[in-house]
Amino acid sequence: MKHLHKIRILFQSLFFLFFLILFFQATFPYHPLVRAEFFLQWSPLTALLTFLSSHRVYAGMIPAGILLFLTIFLGRFFCGWICPLGAMIDFADLFIKRKRKLQRDSTKFRWLKFGILTALVVMALFSVQFVWFFDPLALTNRTFTTALYPMLVVLTESVFSWLWPVAFLQPMLMSVHGFLEGWLLPVNLHLIVQGIPIFLLFLGILSLNLISRRFWCRNVCPLGALLGIFAKFRILERTVDEEGCVSCRICQADCRMNAIEDNFVDFSKAECIDSLDCVDACPTQAVSYKFNLKNPKASKIDFSRRRFLQSVGSGVLAAGLFKIDFVNRESRGNHVRPPGALPEDQFLEQCIRCQECVRVCSTTGGLLQPSWLETGWEGIWSPIGNPREGYCEFTCNLCGEVCPTGAIQLLDLATKQKTKIGTAFFDHNRCIPWNSGDNCMVCQEHCPTPEKAIVFREGDFLTAEGKIKRVKYPYVKEDLCIGCGICVTKCPVEGSPGIFLTAEGAEREEV
Amino acid sequence: MKILSRRAFLSIGSQLGLLAFLPPVFVSRSHFRLFKRPYQPDADLFVARGGKAADLVDRVVAGLGGMSRFVHKGDVVAVKPNMSWDRTPAQGANTNPEVVAEVVKLCLEAGAKKVRVFDRTCNEAKRSYEHSGVADAAKKAGAEVYFPYKRNYVSVKIPDGERLHSWKIYKDVLDSDVLINLPTAKHHSLSQVTLGIKNLMGYLGNDRGKIHRHFDQKIVDIASVLHPGLTILDATRLLLRNGPQGGNLDDVKWIYTVIGGTDMVAVDSFGASLFGLNPDDLGFLVDAHKRGLGELDLKKVHIHQV
Repeated sequence: MKHLHKIRILFQSLFFLFFLILFFQATFPYHPLVRAEFFLQWSPLTALLTFLSSHRVYAGMIPAGILLFLTIFLGRFFCGWICPLGAMIDFADLFIKRKRKLQRDSTKFRWLKFGILTALVVMALFSVQFVWFFDPLALTNRTFTTALYPMLVVLTESVFSWLWPVAFLQPMLMSVHGFLEGWLLPVNLHLIVQGIPIFLLFLGILSLNLISRRFWCRNVCPLGALLGIFAKFRILERTVDEEGCVSCRICQADCRMNAIEDNFVDFSKAECIDSLDCVDACPTQAVSYKFNLKNPKASKIDFSRRRFLQSVGSGVLAAGLFKIDFVNRESRGNHVRPPGALPEDQFLEQCIRCQECVRVCSTTGGLLQPSWLETGWEGIWSPIGNPREGYCEFTCNLCGEVCPTGAIQLLDLATKQKTKIGTAFFDHNRCIPWNSGDNCMVCQEHCPTPEKAIVFREGDFLTAEGKIKRVKYPYVKEDLCIGCGICVTKCPVEGSPGIFLTAEGAEREEV
Repeated sequence: MKILSRRAFLSIGSQLGLLAFLPPVFVSRSHFRLFKRPYQPDADLFVARGGKAADLVDRVVAGLGGMSRFVHKGDVVAVKPNMSWDRTPAQGANTNPEVVAEVVKLCLEAGAKKVRVFDRTCNEAKRSYEHSGVADAAKKAGAEVYFPYKRNYVSVKIPDGERLHSWKIYKDVLDSDVLINLPTAKHHSLSQVTLGIKNLMGYLGNDRGKIHRHFDQKIVDIASVLHPGLTILDATRLLLRNGPQGGNLDDVKWIYTVIGGTDMVAVDSFGASLFGLNPDDLGFLVDAHKRGLGELDLKKVHIHQV
């Protein structure tokens, strides 16, 4: 069959579309056909490594388990048919002009992905979860949330801005904008930081294609490594009719994973992603994929003992480096975590920095942002609140709904509305009534708790001229304040606000 | 088949692009349609008590002389409810959706070409529109409901401003023939109550937080240019405490009352009295009265029970 690989391309496209649909669904109002975080739960790498770090299991591990089970029989079909990063890598590859190579690509870096996997496992055993950096699903979602989607929005908005001064176009622009709102464009776009470094990492991965096709998948991706190990004895085999084979080399040259050995018959089960390119490329149709239940050959894993020991050593070193950053914990009290977040140690072990919480929050209150070093090196890109930019909506618990690993537990709304994530404090040097003696009250106006956590006391203010005037002084009732941050967002003082938020009193339950 | 040659595309594209760089002389800033009908307050207030929301509105509007007194055939009407807060109708932070729906219906029956209902919300826009119930009710009644577009504000001069000399107002309001203010009656910690005059803030651009400092003067500055032709105060329920957004159903008292009038100061004065407050104690009302925007003293107003 000459068109088998097109079925694979169809599936890649469908799964990519599935990913996009789930991405666009992760917004307020949240009425998903399929839960937004479902796809993110398919990665066995995430399931394994979060488990090793935190010893926690969660329901979302089940799809990952099923995938791993299927891999034992079918091999790395995930990489070839499902992975959205793989689909984007293949797509980017179309833009690189390549001549069919006369010599086979080197396999000397194949060990690296197993090495990275080993190091990650070692780090996890020391409770340093670093899978977030490498997991393709988290990575893809992160890139879309912080970079690709915001870019789409700002560029589209720029077109509207550009045409806006032309008066007679305005009604049409407004109706087009109205049509696009809510599904393609957000009604209000909350700024999400860290888009540039996240995009550069993504671009770097795609650029590895310049070295060889699917360089990331062949040599770097630890999920590919994990699936490769499980695929060692796969029963779905590439079979070659040895009489039909004319040793033309086309299959080996075309194989995007460089998985075909020099006899053109044997193939590496740990590398093959079932792309079916070789089946269609063979000029004598000598290649097919069949189930071999009688005597499947085991492929070797390209990971020597020397490399294994080097990787273990690197893992220990990396774990040590992250752990010495733990001393920074005290200063992290400045930063609030989402409501329902596990206590900090467990949170960092469980959070895969997928930004699903940030994404959904940006469509509503807009409190959450990916952090940089505010919560240490081990906290890079984990969600923290920036109350100057957004706040935690009182009637919302979407972050807990969409977290794929349970780093943010789902709190039912009644519980969430009583769960403290922090406390607000007035800065008397900045707050208008305290500093200047004029009434303001914007903070109290917006405080959402049914019994207001900001109250005022009418008192005397001594002016610069020595006169007394009456002013309403605001106070935070610390036991009522849940730390949502809306007071900080709405404070009209320029620059440092008159009221600020810390994680004081945050209630984070262990699970 | 070539639809457009590359040269033609570049030519048209660059001309259009050049247009965008020209100063926006195309946007007329002088007389907006809204300012063509002057503010003519009279001393009549109509108060309906007891009954369903829609019925209360009908009685008040009938007393005023029918909606056609305010809405002429072919008019574009801007109806300004309060839908600013992520609260349910029972929580009393937004205008009662049934009141909004009835007003929209009456406008369309009086021959309005278009009824525009929108608000620049305090909480996130989609949440507030949805949970307040107002967007849905207004849409079902036939109004055009949409989110304000951030570029569509124009700076309007405030010639008699004490603190503000100009402010950005949403252009669609200025391009309407008549503005009907549809506030709900609530407690407010800064101004003590928020009624009609404060409700106009939902049409404002810029940083509205800045209005809260020297609030009384600034809100009246706004009211001095943005005049509703008709104010209908939704007092079907009062938010007695913890306003302007409440949250506790115990703070809401249902009194099934609607008040209508052409004098925005008189309507607010009456509204204040429902909370047991003396209008003379409310700085913004005293200021508005001093600047000739309406009558503060309820004894000088004819209150008609309908």
